[in-house]
Amino acid sequence: MVDLSFLWRRNVVADVIQGIIVGGILAFVTFQGIAITHVTATNGWTTIYGCGEPGDGLLLRAACADVFTGPINVPEEAMYWTTKKDSAHQTLSGQHNYILHFPAGQLPPNDAFWSLTMGDAKNRFVPNSINRYSVSDRSGLVPNADGSVDIYIQNTAPAGHESNWLPAPTGNFILWLRVYLPGAAILNGEYQVPPVTQTQ
Amino acid sequence: MKHKHLITFGGVCIVAWAIGTFLFLYFWPHFVNNIFRKAILDQGFGQSPVPVNMLYVEPQQLFTEPLAAQSASSSPNLMTTGVNHDTLLVVAWLDLSQGLQVLHVPDFSSRYYSVQFTDPFDADFAYVGTRTTGTKAGDYLVTGPGWKGQLVSGMTHIASPSNSVLVIGRILVYSDSDLSTAYDLAKQIRLAPLGQWLVSGF
Repeated sequence: MVDLSFLWRRNVVADVIQGIIVGGILAFVTFQGIAITHVTATNGWTTIYGCGEPGDGLLLRAACADVFTGPINVPEEAMYWTTKKDSAHQTLSGQHNYILHFPAGQLPPNDAFWSLTMGDAKNRFVPNSINRYSVSDRSGLVPNADGSVDIYIQNTAPAGHESNWLPAPTGNFILWLRVYLPGAAILNGEYQVPPVTQTQ
Repeated sequence: MKHKHLITFGGVCIVAWAIGTFLFLYFWPHFVNNIFRKAILDQGFGQSPVPVNMLYVEPQQLFTEPLAAQSASSSPNLMTTGVNHDTLLVVAWLDLSQGLQVLHVPDFSSRYYSVQFTDPFDADFAYVGTRTTGTKAGDYLVTGPGWKGQLVSGMTHIASPSNSVLVIGRILVYSDSDLSTAYDLAKQIRLAPLGQWLVSGF
């Protein structure tokens, strides 16, 4: 048996061990708290501006690594947003139907491409009847009469709007918006990603 | 002396908190970067490990059938770090202490692509690609810290601050029917030690 009595014993060695354990836990919580202060949240979408730059300070660098869990691009190359929540701050779930509405002329400005990708609760691709894992500037989205674009995010195909359907799983899901070579309106923070709105 | 234990505990706790917070902040980017290093060197895209200083292109099947790849028991870590159905990936882990490396990129015409060079603390210190160097073919000499030498004419210099470099290439795929074209271009991105390049090219 491992001797765990230092957890409650009162002597100097136990004081030190307990101090290190509690201090370490507090350190991790503080680290997470600092990371969150760098996150920009708009309409339920979250991102961090300025990741990957060689001149990034200690705190921003740590926040980017914590939030994106990967060595991501500098903002001039690509920006990434993610959300697990709809416009009413409810968790996204295939039990509901959603629309992401881009007003006319408000698709993400870019010089390369943009995409909206579906991930299940574990951030994995979602099986579906039409083998579609994302919608994008290349997927043949059909605009509305007024030039706006609606993306239908739901588990079953939206009748009459199949071209704009992003298939969701039956359970919770997350969305990723990628914009490569983002336009000036994104880099200066002016562009806001529209909210994901529940329709039923 | 009634509070002796509390003072010892509290003092150690505060010191551990301060040092611990700094360690998390400082080393977390390196920790995350290291996961990529291990994923590349141990598993690659699932078929086989990718040795250092070798460039490897994501197999087309991973792109067309991502579900099969992620449900496989030996699901490669590289494919579970965020869903991406836009670009074909190219990865390499450089160890410049073994010598200088030459990166060759083909002419991508109007297609978007990028090759990102990332240091062990997640700083993207250099790019080759549409945004930074354009889409014409080119050769790039990648050197480690403190390198002072004569650049081979016709090459562009990329100076790495570290001998360890994560290289991630992304090639835009327009559609399923475009995949093989994108793949052929990706395969033409080459990496070779300078000595070998000087003797026999790629």
